[in-house]
Amino acid sequence: MLEAVILLENLKNGLSFVNHAISQRAQLPILLNFLIDGNKNGLFICATDLEIGIRIKIPAKVNKNGRIAVSAKTFLDLVTSITQEKVTISEKENNINLTTEKVKASFAKTPTDEFPSLYQEKGSKVAEFDKEEFKKETAKVVFSASLDIGRPALSGVYFEKQEADVGINLVAADGFRLSLRQGFAKKASSKKEPLKLIIPSRVIKEVLGVKEEDQKITLFTSSKSNQVVFGVGDTEVVGRLIESDYPDYKKIIPDDFDTKVYFDKPEAEDAVRSCLVFAREAANIIKLSIGNGKLKFSASSPQLGENEVEVDAKIEGEENEIAFNGRYLLDFLGAMESEDISFEMTGPLNPGVFRIPKEDNFLHIIMPIRIQE
Amino acid sequence: MSMDKKVDKLWKKILSEIQTEVSSANFLTLFKGTYLLSLEDNVATIAAPSTMIIDLLNKRYYTLIKDSVDANTGRENKLIFVPKTNGTVSSYTNDPPGPLFASNRQEKVFGHLPRVRPDYTFQNFAVSATNQLAYVSSQAVSKKIGTAYNPLFIYGPVGVGKTHLMQAVANEVYKNAPDKKILYMTSEDFTNDVVEAIRGNETAKMKKKFRNLDLLMIDDIQFIGGKERVQEELFHTFNILVDRASQIILTSDRAPQVLKKTEKRLISRFSGGLTVDIETPDFELRCAILLTKAKKYNFDLNIETAKIIAEKTEDTRELEGLLLRVMTEAATKEEAASPHLAKQVLLSSGFLRSKAFYPEDIIKEVCEFFKIKPAQLKGERRDAMLVRARHVCMFVLKKQGGLTYSEIGNLIGGRDHTTIMHGVEKIENLLTDANYRGDFLRMSFFAHLHVEKQTDLHPNS
Repeated sequence: MLEAVILLENLKNGLSFVNHAISQRAQLPILLNFLIDGNKNGLFICATDLEIGIRIKIPAKVNKNGRIAVSAKTFLDLVTSITQEKVTISEKENNINLTTEKVKASFAKTPTDEFPSLYQEKGSKVAEFDKEEFKKETAKVVFSASLDIGRPALSGVYFEKQEADVGINLVAADGFRLSLRQGFAKKASSKKEPLKLIIPSRVIKEVLGVKEEDQKITLFTSSKSNQVVFGVGDTEVVGRLIESDYPDYKKIIPDDFDTKVYFDKPEAEDAVRSCLVFAREAANIIKLSIGNGKLKFSASSPQLGENEVEVDAKIEGEENEIAFNGRYLLDFLGAMESEDISFEMTGPLNPGVFRIPKEDNFLHIIMPIRIQE
Repeated sequence: MSMDKKVDKLWKKILSEIQTEVSSANFLTLFKGTYLLSLEDNVATIAAPSTMIIDLLNKRYYTLIKDSVDANTGRENKLIFVPKTNGTVSSYTNDPPGPLFASNRQEKVFGHLPRVRPDYTFQNFAVSATNQLAYVSSQAVSKKIGTAYNPLFIYGPVGVGKTHLMQAVANEVYKNAPDKKILYMTSEDFTNDVVEAIRGNETAKMKKKFRNLDLLMIDDIQFIGGKERVQEELFHTFNILVDRASQIILTSDRAPQVLKKTEKRLISRFSGGLTVDIETPDFELRCAILLTKAKKYNFDLNIETAKIIAEKTEDTRELEGLLLRVMTEAATKEEAASPHLAKQVLLSSGFLRSKAFYPEDIIKEVCEFFKIKPAQLKGERRDAMLVRARHVCMFVLKKQGGLTYSEIGNLIGGRDHTTIMHGVEKIENLLTDANYRGDFLRMSFFAHLHVEKQTDLHPNS
């Protein structure tokens, strides 16, 4: 019969993060619950939608060990409405009480035995990353992953390491665009063996959102159970590895270009955003015209009108034109921290390559849209 | 039925039983993504998408599943769960995932071989007696360009694989020596080049373009017939290339000696190397071609179905077209390719006579063939020729139209059904006789009886 005392702040933070693993569309009632488990190791909250699972340990004083399951929505709504500092959770015969100095609430109890365990074993440690580097570099890649589960491999981020000292290649693509960060985490301690993991992009996105003081992110995998666990401080994000071959991404990287443009990211981002106002009605098509020392973004819609925005640019090579889905441009520019971006292309029908001039280990490729003049 | 299908079927049955026992929420969440991997030595290995799902299945439904598996197999089984998702592995072998992955794939590997199809290789060229010489010579040429046989002249009717072989040489040469300069063009391209060069007074420039080549391929060379300036330019180009030991490969629909309106000196150049012909593919080769093509599309085509399709056409392009239709049909109907399915496709493509069939047309055709009037056919006279024509007509109406004996009797002057039976039998007997069979098969209305021709009419083969 669980009894624990918790600081409201810690409970709130813990619950709102674990809540990411609750799917409102869950068919099984038990999956709409938090599992709160107090034992000699501390107080743990976990949730899962059977695709991913999150477990977090929150600082608490556990007076009596026990496991309870409570409706995630009701519990979270109540906790976020409380203003006092300390909360006591205590399990009774037929219900669960949550009390503060002024509040006395009582919840219906859900049997806990139906709650699935997130994993049987954690698996073996594959790599340990620096948290800041991991967050910074995966963020450049993960947005390119496909949201379409019909193409399983592309719905994940590919972690590929060929040899020991060259680092990991991070790849994400959705069939129209691709991000590649080469030589990631060279210094991070990781196993010597080659690595080939496709990790669901949703798992990576959750790891990016973890709020922990700890500076290390540890990656565990178990090939036996086909699962991946990211550990950051007291938080664990569990998912399943995607079993598939990743398409040969190296083949599609152009090795040459006719035109290269250097431009300022914030300026281009504004230009794309203002073109999207018109492009929205026209399949998000934004045209890039390169020439005369200018990079021109333009969009037009037969119903709404048209717009043209010039961006200062340094141009090498031929004049050229190409059209992209403006959403892709915005996704890409939005994910970049660098102020400077370069763009290379060979013709209006060949994929365009975006790079960060000072970082030769990153590139982003977008497939152009064929437009009729 | 294959083992896999058996297992799939068993699992479907078990799932349908379980579905009645558990709530639909549980069924959708926990059982939907499961499948039976194997059932061997009393161990059922069941795949489920994630470890969390497996945990729940183990905790709550082990007995339920086990009981159902046991009841369906009639013995005690142990259950093992493994995390695996269905059908995701190797789903990219053929279909590039999205245009980005499709785009540069070809250009990258075959960057400087414009217009050469990368899938035209020696590996996927089906060989039999009709094209073996051409195949072997092309391979020899690809290994020693300019020295083995120069020029290589391949001729044969449409759709026998001339272009495939020629481009296979190009792909092979390029694979082994990417720095070789290779040019593939049709004789029309060549003609256009010449016309362009003459118009711009740049014949020297054109010569330069060809002079540096290591391998020149010109497809359908017969079209230069009657074009004098083009022939002259080709003649000079030819001499230059052969002098510097560059390989030339030509294809045509006929042998060099019978090319129309072509200069003698050019013909003698064409025949100066090796001339090989490819004949229309025989039945076995057509089957092999179908199987090769099906493999290319990763489509499971069994030999029986291939035979049905191969019987119907001699043109390999048409073969591929029919194969694609069968594949589409199989995909939309979600069933495997079977002889039955193939027949349906052939029927709808007009390769098999449809059921809409006009007896009067048959009677007319038969009469035309025997040069008699329908009235004579339906009449009472019993001249030998009239009797033969009558019997043939009865046979065709029966075999192709599937009419009843009395229906046929009514059509042919109100004869008794036993008369018709006799007539049909008569022709059937004659068909087994080698002396007559040839004559019959030449009649155009027998052509529609393709199926029977291969099966019913050859009781001894």
